[in-house]
Amino acid sequence: MDTKQLIIEAKARFNHNAAKAYIKDKYESKLTVADQGGLWVANPEMISFLSSSTILEIVIIDTYSNPVKVNRAALLTKLEKTYHYVMEQWQNEWAALEKKR
Amino acid sequence: MGCIREETMSKGVLLFAFNNDKVDYYAMAIATAKRANKFLNLPVTVVTDSSTAVANYDYEFDNVIVVDADRTNLNAKNEVWINKGRYQAYTLSPYDETLLLDTDYLINSDTLLKPFELYDDFMCHNRTSFLMIPDHYQEMISEQSYPTMWATVIYFKKTPKTKMIFECMEMVQQNYRHYTTLYNMTVGNFRNDFALTIALRIVCGQTEDPNHYIPWNLVHVGKNTHIYRDSDTMYTVIYDNWQRGKIRKEYSIVTDTDFHLLNKENFMELI
Repeated sequence: MDTKQLIIEAKARFNHNAAKAYIKDKYESKLTVADQGGLWVANPEMISFLSSSTILEIVIIDTYSNPVKVNRAALLTKLEKTYHYVMEQWQNEWAALEKKR
Repeated sequence: MGCIREETMSKGVLLFAFNNDKVDYYAMAIATAKRANKFLNLPVTVVTDSSTAVANYDYEFDNVIVVDADRTNLNAKNEVWINKGRYQAYTLSPYDETLLLDTDYLINSDTLLKPFELYDDFMCHNRTSFLMIPDHYQEMISEQSYPTMWATVIYFKKTPKTKMIFECMEMVQQNYRHYTTLYNMTVGNFRNDFALTIALRIVCGQTEDPNHYIPWNLVHVGKNTHIYRDSDTMYTVIYDNWQRGKIRKEYSIVTDTDFHLLNKENFMELI
């Protein structure tokens, strides 16, 4: 029996909360980036902070609470690229799951 | 932090697989090894014992290391559970950088390559999530003690500190009754997760060092949850949600996500 048939026969309902939590876990892990000796999360706050500065080399506290001196522009480029790529995938998967009943 | 990454360092996966009367852990190790080859492109070494019938399997590991199995531990069902001796991973691993995995860990992505980029010499999961149970609590080794560190996925590099962690795990294993009393642990049978938790705290001077934590959750598939394969990396998860004495079936779909399948029979169905 294929799983679609199994779901129909079991009268199983799609659990949107569980799906939402699962994809949040999945894509948040993909937003974590190791670069220039530190561990970073490609989130809007970090991207905004890096964008707002003009300093070439900047010291930032990474995810593990270690101060790391980084090339600001290089880190910004990497985090922006990661953020957009991951968020696009996250949105696509969520859109597909949201239609399930 | 602070470890220097050398590109010439050898990398690989290490599995411990000892068959008992009920579970063919070696077959599970082969399934995990094939997926490690496919998704991580890493060689796999298995540690096993002479009574595990290694001749009847159609997979060639990078290395097969035969050790004497310690059969003194029992699981919750009072069956022999050969999980002791995991501390030997440090000395037995032929790799400079090792991913030590449980055999019931189903790899569906290249996520586990990330720890190799993270510069740290020892990493394990300190947080978990359960598929279909978003609000599941974080396990503690005892009610008023520490959160459990998980030995399901351990990344380590051979350094003096890592050596100390594994030696400390050995000490905890050998004096497990003492530590169960000391930490007021209710579970009597030996668990590598608990040995790791205690060892890591001892080596870190009873402090928490976030550098040792893999920065995402270990995904468990727990009780009342069954996994069905839709494609190579896509699964339907069906969960029996008990409400007022009745089961309500719920489902979700997961793709490209690694998970730890606690139900061994379910794992065998998928391989």
